[in-house]
Amino acid sequence: MRYLTHPLLRKLLSLPPQCVPGRGTPMKGAVLCPKQLFLKQCCSAGPGLVTATDMVNYWQKVFEKNGIPEAQESSQYIVSFVLGAKTFQSLDSKSLHTPLTALQQEQIQQLSHKRLQRMPVQYVLGEWDFQELTLKMRPPVFIPRPETEDLVSLVVEEEFQKCENSTLCFPAPVPHPVILEIGCGSGAIALSLLCKLPQSRVIAMDKEEAAVNLTRENAYRLQLQERIHIIHQDVSHSSAKQLLLWGPIDVIVSNPPYVFHEDMASLDEEILCYEDLDALDGGDDGMRVIKTILALAPSLLKVSGSVFLEVDPRHPNMVEHWLQAHPELLLTLCAIHKDFCGKPRFLHIQKQSS
Amino acid sequence: MRRLRDKERELRDTRELAQDENEDFRKLAETEIASCEEEIAELKQQIVLLLIPSEETDESDLVMEVTAGVGGQEAMLFTSEIFDMYQRYAAYKKWKFEVLEYFPSELGGLRHAVASIAGVEAYKYMKFEGGVHRVQRVPKTEKQGRIHTSTMTVAILPQPTEMRLQISPKDLRIETKRASGAGGQHVNTTDSAVRIVHIPTGIVAECQQERSQIRNKEKAMQMLCAKLYNAKLEEETKKRNYARKIQIGTKGRSEKIRTYNFPQDRITDHRISRSVHHVESFMLGEEMLDEMIQTLREYADYESLMEIISENEKNNSS
Repeated sequence: MRYLTHPLLRKLLSLPPQCVPGRGTPMKGAVLCPKQLFLKQCCSAGPGLVTATDMVNYWQKVFEKNGIPEAQESSQYIVSFVLGAKTFQSLDSKSLHTPLTALQQEQIQQLSHKRLQRMPVQYVLGEWDFQELTLKMRPPVFIPRPETEDLVSLVVEEEFQKCENSTLCFPAPVPHPVILEIGCGSGAIALSLLCKLPQSRVIAMDKEEAAVNLTRENAYRLQLQERIHIIHQDVSHSSAKQLLLWGPIDVIVSNPPYVFHEDMASLDEEILCYEDLDALDGGDDGMRVIKTILALAPSLLKVSGSVFLEVDPRHPNMVEHWLQAHPELLLTLCAIHKDFCGKPRFLHIQKQSS
Repeated sequence: MRRLRDKERELRDTRELAQDENEDFRKLAETEIASCEEEIAELKQQIVLLLIPSEETDESDLVMEVTAGVGGQEAMLFTSEIFDMYQRYAAYKKWKFEVLEYFPSELGGLRHAVASIAGVEAYKYMKFEGGVHRVQRVPKTEKQGRIHTSTMTVAILPQPTEMRLQISPKDLRIETKRASGAGGQHVNTTDSAVRIVHIPTGIVAECQQERSQIRNKEKAMQMLCAKLYNAKLEEETKKRNYARKIQIGTKGRSEKIRTYNFPQDRITDHRISRSVHHVESFMLGEEMLDEMIQTLREYADYESLMEIISENEKNNSS
């Protein structure tokens, strides 16, 4: 697990000096005494009374002064969280104008100080939403990206389609696949698949213990622990035998590290300082883990079993050529799906019969 | 109809029996006649109800939009109260109420909000609530105790099923904050607002109620479908009869349908000229509101029938 802690290494990669999470001293220029500021200004609810809107405006300005990206969104999420809501837009009129208690103001301040250290909002709040689930988030376990929500939808659609195609009977049978997820992180993909496919079972693996623990914690919180088997294992050192505990697999799904190594240095500070870089770095061509998964897939999959991958937009052609260069794998790229920005993002690969 | 004929025959026979000399027979016959007449009346009513054509949209769920009208902050406060009233009404009727959009004002009011309401006969009841609602009272912000009149508008849009409204994905442009750059693992943004544009018509829907982007997209699609379906229906019903007192759809959108007078503690529905008392109780969104809507339904049914009868007469006479 790398935080890129070595100062020399960081210099070589031209990274900014490392922000040290957890230290008390705030960033230069941060205003430390919100109460004084408020007493000077006239708050909308009356002197000395602070509302949610006042707090959002105040912390937004503080974040902006300190060059924190998404200043408004960050302050909105923090204030809403303390008030028990998911988003600022979902707070009703009353909540927006009720004065905040001293405790609430204190909580907002504590969370905002973490954000001032460039901690990603999802880690500040300790939770985030993915599909219909709310999941615990904890550094350095990788934070699910919105694109990956569509990866889950693709897998679910494919499973329902397979069931409809397999029979002339009505209604079609219910899908009950055995799914393997490689690199489960917080458990986002595995757990939302379990929810959307109530008859499915998932084997989830990750090479980082923190990820395995977080997936397990989220599985228990969602009462899904009976249908998921979580393994602390590196796919590069895995044999097929260890993963066939429920027999041959219907679907392998993964959001593997796919960032090109040369692109790593240009990632935001939030990512470089707090997230597990091994969850991102895919080697020189971003394909290291993708190739490992595809090489292992034929020994795990049923015939006509599928691999679903999220990748960098440059990968679809590269993967197609690589599969053609390895015909012994009997894998074919059968579809490339675009993400909501129109970029080629998801690969559907199928195992052919020999 | 056959049951009606049989009952009428039974009634005639029983009436004959009532002429009988025997007193016991007469008494028996009288009770029989009474129950026969009751049943006949019921059957006639059932037949009448069956004659009333149901709209394509009657079984739909719906999307409700509220917008503050004339009156500044006071109008926005009133809008917030009406929105709350319908939220309670949905709970009272055991419908599902989901907020899709919510734009509050600075002083505790509501500028504009959208909610989806789903449940048994939801549209059938709520369709009468579309129009301009008026409030007459001394506003909280008023220093001289004068009564002000403010307005807000409720729009009720039926939610189409997939069969009724086909949208091609090619016609949609989905806008998010992640549009530029590499996206995916490279970026960790938290702005998950989604905006969907229907390119051929220019109709837009957006949502930022949720932290999950796919959930915002689903809610925005719900709103978009309702708007598109409503536009389609408007086209189709343009040709229909305008004479009715109870107008549904955009025709009714700008009609003043109801006044809530706080000093006189009275609510008046202008379409049927019906007044009830206890504004606070009415705005709880329970029995009183339900009763008002039932009355409107009955009146609307009556108007439908009158239309059929007069059309029938026209056809017969031509």
